[in-house]
Amino acid sequence: MSEEQDQRQPIAKAKKGRASQVTQEQALGPQKSFWPLGLAIALILLLFGIVSNSPIVMGIGVVLSIAAVIGWGLEQRK
Amino acid sequence: MATRTIVEAPGVARRRRLDETYIGEWLMTTDHKKIGVMYMLTGFAFFLVGGIEALLIRTQLAVPNGKVLSPEIYNQIFTMHGVTMIFLFVMPTLTGFGNYIVPLMIGARDMAFPRLNAFGYWIVLFAGIFLNASFLFGAAPNAGWFNYAPLNELTTACGNAVMCTPGMNEDFWLLGILLLGISSIAGSLNFVVTILRMRAPGMTINRMPLFTWMTMVTAFLLLFALPSLTAASVMMLLDRHLGSHFYTFASGGDPLLWQHLFWSFGHPEVYILILPAFGMISEILPVFARKPIFGYTFIAWSGVAIGFLSFTVWAHHMFAVGLPPIAQAFFASSTTLIAIPTAVKIFNWIATIWYGKVSLKVPMLFALGFIAMFLIGGLDGAALALVPFDYQITDTYFVVSHLHYVLFGGSVFGIFAGVYYWFPKISGKLLNERLGQVQFWLMLVGVNLTFFSMHILGLLGMPRRIYTYPDNLGWNEMNLLQTIGAFTLGVAFMVFFWNLIVSLRSGEPAGNDPWDAFTLEWDTTSPPAHYNFETVPTVRSRRPFYDKKNPDIADWKTATH
Repeated sequence: MSEEQDQRQPIAKAKKGRASQVTQEQALGPQKSFWPLGLAIALILLLFGIVSNSPIVMGIGVVLSIAAVIGWGLEQRK
Repeated sequence: MATRTIVEAPGVARRRRLDETYIGEWLMTTDHKKIGVMYMLTGFAFFLVGGIEALLIRTQLAVPNGKVLSPEIYNQIFTMHGVTMIFLFVMPTLTGFGNYIVPLMIGARDMAFPRLNAFGYWIVLFAGIFLNASFLFGAAPNAGWFNYAPLNELTTACGNAVMCTPGMNEDFWLLGILLLGISSIAGSLNFVVTILRMRAPGMTINRMPLFTWMTMVTAFLLLFALPSLTAASVMMLLDRHLGSHFYTFASGGDPLLWQHLFWSFGHPEVYILILPAFGMISEILPVFARKPIFGYTFIAWSGVAIGFLSFTVWAHHMFAVGLPPIAQAFFASSTTLIAIPTAVKIFNWIATIWYGKVSLKVPMLFALGFIAMFLIGGLDGAALALVPFDYQITDTYFVVSHLHYVLFGGSVFGIFAGVYYWFPKISGKLLNERLGQVQFWLMLVGVNLTFFSMHILGLLGMPRRIYTYPDNLGWNEMNLLQTIGAFTLGVAFMVFFWNLIVSLRSGEPAGNDPWDAFTLEWDTTSPPAHYNFETVPTVRSRRPFYDKKNPDIADWKTATH
């Protein structure tokens, strides 16, 4: 192994170490998810459909709510 | 057989995914700290809205025969003031504190159900927008924050358009409250599971911080109190839109059913709004008195006792409807009884600061202010438990004074104590001490100017929720005084928001433990890392961080718990 390679190896190791540390940190915390926001938007659309007496908005709200519940349930968790 | 391997070409710029952008990170977060911050920011945004509504009410009432608002708008404004302050400010803000602080306090990495936690927050935000959007439809709720039947019925149900609400006003209230109920149940379940299942090794129930205790009691209260409100709201929706008659007397229903169902939620709700503040005060006093909390077990279990008793007192809101004498006697007794565990807390707090090395930093000022103001509200409450007295002052400004001493002098002072105490942990910066003191004194003067004379006004017979009043009833000076007090409070909150901006921009760095505190949330960086703790701490006493800083005189070496 050349001298240059010798010098590079610890840096590479350190970088690898930091990367794995970041991954571990992310693994320790919860994973991000769009579905909580998605379901809340769907429910509020449903309610606005009800109060504005608009079957279309209400229907979109219902469909999105079902989609969000399914999406939430099927979401892969690490 | 052909195989295909997809390799990302090195050096090719990849468009960032939504969750990698700054905004996307907040929109998709399930981190309890970010969700806690969002709850608090949302709460304070609605606090501004509710505060402006309060100032409009006080401007209308400043002088007799006021014409600032129309009667219809006035009804909407005072209703939305109550709804906003209770459901959209105090509850979300306290939930925000719970979200941010509780997992850190118990040494957990997050809440038990992070996605449910995020869902709860987004529902609160959208329900708040939904409720306030009613103003754009010209149909904000207008039957008071407790929305009594038959005021909330359609005209067809009670046969009188003046007595009822033919517009969508009450539909906004009912649907908005149902939505907020979903959020509260999601949040409560999360708190209960997190606190019972995710505590750090060694943190037994009897070693839990008192804020965590009170958050747990509050979560249980919500879980048991909300179903009656949900049932009441669904029945009202059925009355309004599907022709049922749960609350219409002429068709065999009973308007009082609404009051029973509402208040069997509504009185526990008062404790839902105050117990977390009790918890905050129980954390702050020992740190600024440099002593362990006095009577930990009594403070913790008196919170549980308050929780139980809060389900037995609801009809004291209804003495004037003509309850049978036995019911009056029962509810008068239970209401008086609930003063005992409350007094237990107050005596223990006083004993905590007794002979302590008291440091009057802003969190401590607010904590002491809380005790004094809540005590006035509590004593008013005990007076209201007396049926003959209650008859005299039902629906007068005396009641308005009582509830504001409890919820403003109590919950809001508690919230500000919490803000000044935990802001350094959340932001890494200290709030400006001098501006904090200015805010505290303005608030203390403002709250008493505004609400104390309401006692007298109530005794003089001024009914709550009246649009205006003639000038010959002797109410003029006190109403003007209250309006001056309300604007003093407005100035105090402007000072706070200024302090927030100034401190976030150029505040003094806080360090990890600016108060030399005792509990685990201070045993990590300010603000804490995504994962909260590098290693999950082990707990051996009620003051784990104090033990760590003082190994020679650690509590676990001397105390028995």
